[in-house]
Amino acid sequence: MIRFMNVHKWFKDLHVLNDVSLTVAAGEVVVVCGPSGSGKSTLIRTVNQLESINSGEIWVDGKNVADPKTDLNALRAKVGFVFQHFNLYPHLSVLDNITLSPLMVKKMERAAADKLALQLLERVGLAHKKDAFPAQLSGGQQQRVAIARGLAMQPQVMLFDEPTSALDPEMIGEVLHVMKDLAESGMTMMVVTHEMGFAREVADRVVFVDHGQIIEEAQPEEFFMNPQHDRAKQFLRQLLTPMQ
Amino acid sequence: MRFTSRLICTATVGALLAAPAMSAELTGTLKKIKDSGTIVVGHRDASIPFSYLDNNQQPIGYSMDLANKVVAAVKKELKMPGLKVQYNLVTSQTRIPLVQNGTVDFECGSTTNNLERQKQVDFSVGIFEIGTRLLTKKTSGIKDFTDLKGKNVVTTAGTTSERLIKAMNAEKQMGMNIISAKDHGESFLMAESGRAVAFMMDDALLYGEMAKAKAPAEWVVTGKPQSFEIYGCMMRKEDPAFKKVVDDTIKATYKSGEINKIYTKWFMNPVPPKGLNLNFPMSDELKGLIKSPTDKSAEQM
Amino acid sequence: MNYNWDWNVFFKSTGIGNEIYLDWFVSGLGWTIAVALAGWIIALALGSLLGVMRTLPNKTASAIATGYVELFRNVPLLVQLFIWYFLVPDLLPEKAQIWFKQDLSPATSAYLSVVVCLGLFTAARVCEQVRTGIQALPKGQNYAAMAMGFQQAQVYRYVLLPQAFRVIIPPLTSEFLNIFKNSSVASLIGLMELLAQTKQTAEFSANLFEAFTLATVLYFVLNMSLMKLMGWVETRLRVPGMMGGAK
Repeated sequence: MIRFMNVHKWFKDLHVLNDVSLTVAAGEVVVVCGPSGSGKSTLIRTVNQLESINSGEIWVDGKNVADPKTDLNALRAKVGFVFQHFNLYPHLSVLDNITLSPLMVKKMERAAADKLALQLLERVGLAHKKDAFPAQLSGGQQQRVAIARGLAMQPQVMLFDEPTSALDPEMIGEVLHVMKDLAESGMTMMVVTHEMGFAREVADRVVFVDHGQIIEEAQPEEFFMNPQHDRAKQFLRQLLTPMQ
Repeated sequence: MRFTSRLICTATVGALLAAPAMSAELTGTLKKIKDSGTIVVGHRDASIPFSYLDNNQQPIGYSMDLANKVVAAVKKELKMPGLKVQYNLVTSQTRIPLVQNGTVDFECGSTTNNLERQKQVDFSVGIFEIGTRLLTKKTSGIKDFTDLKGKNVVTTAGTTSERLIKAMNAEKQMGMNIISAKDHGESFLMAESGRAVAFMMDDALLYGEMAKAKAPAEWVVTGKPQSFEIYGCMMRKEDPAFKKVVDDTIKATYKSGEINKIYTKWFMNPVPPKGLNLNFPMSDELKGLIKSPTDKSAEQM
Repeated sequence: MNYNWDWNVFFKSTGIGNEIYLDWFVSGLGWTIAVALAGWIIALALGSLLGVMRTLPNKTASAIATGYVELFRNVPLLVQLFIWYFLVPDLLPEKAQIWFKQDLSPATSAYLSVVVCLGLFTAARVCEQVRTGIQALPKGQNYAAMAMGFQQAQVYRYVLLPQAFRVIIPPLTSEFLNIFKNSSVASLIGLMELLAQTKQTAEFSANLFEAFTLATVLYFVLNMSLMKLMGWVETRLRVPGMMGGAK
């Protein structure tokens, strides 16, 4: 479904992605983790070309996203993206946030789009908030709406860029719960997160990134119990016992 | 100190009995001038050749020559040869309030004496008389006001000509389009650029604009004057002592014939800043005014 | 100062037809509104377009808009007016020149010139407000819309502009008021709007202070009403939960 082949990216002199190769199969859930500044957010943003790359290839659903001939808008419509800061449209109601893309990009009928949006809101447990505005919702609720918004395009892949790091601790659970349900429904997912509990329970594979390189790639159990690389060990130690 | 000097001054004057008027206590503008040691003369910046600025930014012109005679008379009257003279620029909008509020002691420019203005200020005896006529291209075929039916005519905003032509248009239903331009220069530009076939204004000013034209020979001042207007110097109301000094000065200039020299200097010879010659011979109306000076407006005559 | 006040002057005959001075003020107010509203439509449409252009990644589009703003903001309004009224018509083909200068009534040709002039001048200012409004939005809004597969035009139409305009209503209000105040330049090319009628009344009646007092009151009432109107628009467009909106 997603395939990175020798991807490089520079921000001026900074080598943010250094020869990254990675495959995410259909139906697979891959968690990407690593210290901050390691390049993991950049990595996930290259999938739908919110960030461009300097060399290498990224294939999504059989298309090379770095190829100028690829219709990026059509491709992006098939890839759902959930941001750290939700990025809901503040001037639109919850329902309109979800229906905007189906209406404008897919040219769906209003009634069908509304029906779909209500189903998705039901799924994330927020049907009763359909007429609310984003600023009237808690962070956790906003992120659940953002997930519903991503799903509204009926994507083949969902990308999550640190979906819980901007949330108060008591709201993290509700969002992870929705993500877990989604994974169980068979969605292909690539998730940048520090939620190791989620990784352990839901992920098929964990990828550890540092200094723009993939350093370790393993089954969750193996990664957590027996990390191979020193930097991965140090990362896990800091994550589990931050005071030391 | 001031009191003492005034005392001495008054005493001296009284002793010499040079001017009987001076023995009485000064009032109004003369007192203000005496107290401040300064006389403030209002002038215009572009009323050619009446009152305008030369290349050194000094006010000059026909009306300014008369104003300077008034200043000389005030110096003599107050026995203050060292009296300071200050020139203050006024516009058509500011001239009346600035005279009223005392910023300017008197103004000699191109201000028409009329009944509305007489409610606000006093006028000296007339210093000039104009007729309101038309400036047009010789090729336009316009000979008189009746030829203007259905045409575009320009005049300068806020002038008597504007009022006259608008009234004429309403009364005689001539269907003219009247443009009110912001100043004489712009009015002429409207005529020159073909937006208007004729420019209605005081004839003296029309001759001034014609002299400035790229090709003065292409233009002509025409039409029967729709009105005559008398220009006067403006001063504050109800100040007979000062008005007498101004009026007497102007009348003396008329009587001595010196006015003819001043007229010739400004209307029949090249004038600064560009050395243009207006070639505007003295009208019978002005000759009449000089013969029998009056401070009445033309409409009162 | 010995000024002769006369507040009845507005009901006195102007000496032209049956008009009283008050009629002049009413007609002047009408022209002022007609000039300002038409200019505002141009300013808002063109200014929004230019504002968007300034934020586009496309360097050419952004440079064109920047050049426009620099040009129109740095040349005084009066100079621009004289260019539009005296210079531009002379650059037209012969037939169009005659039509503009002679077939159109002077009021119409002056009106067209001043509307275009004010519209283009104010557009440069609106452009800057729109640009600021767009740039003040979180970057994530652009990303979110792009990630949904929106075309660039759709990103602006549905996501960025609706938010940017809400943010810039207060500065836009002041531009809206400015165009009403700036419309007084029309008096300088002979269009009898409120200021021109005021000056004319002052000259004809010699009741300068009464005339300008009434003009002050009219401009004040006009601008207060416009502010109320824009305040109402702002309240109507306010998003619940945001910027002091209803909870």
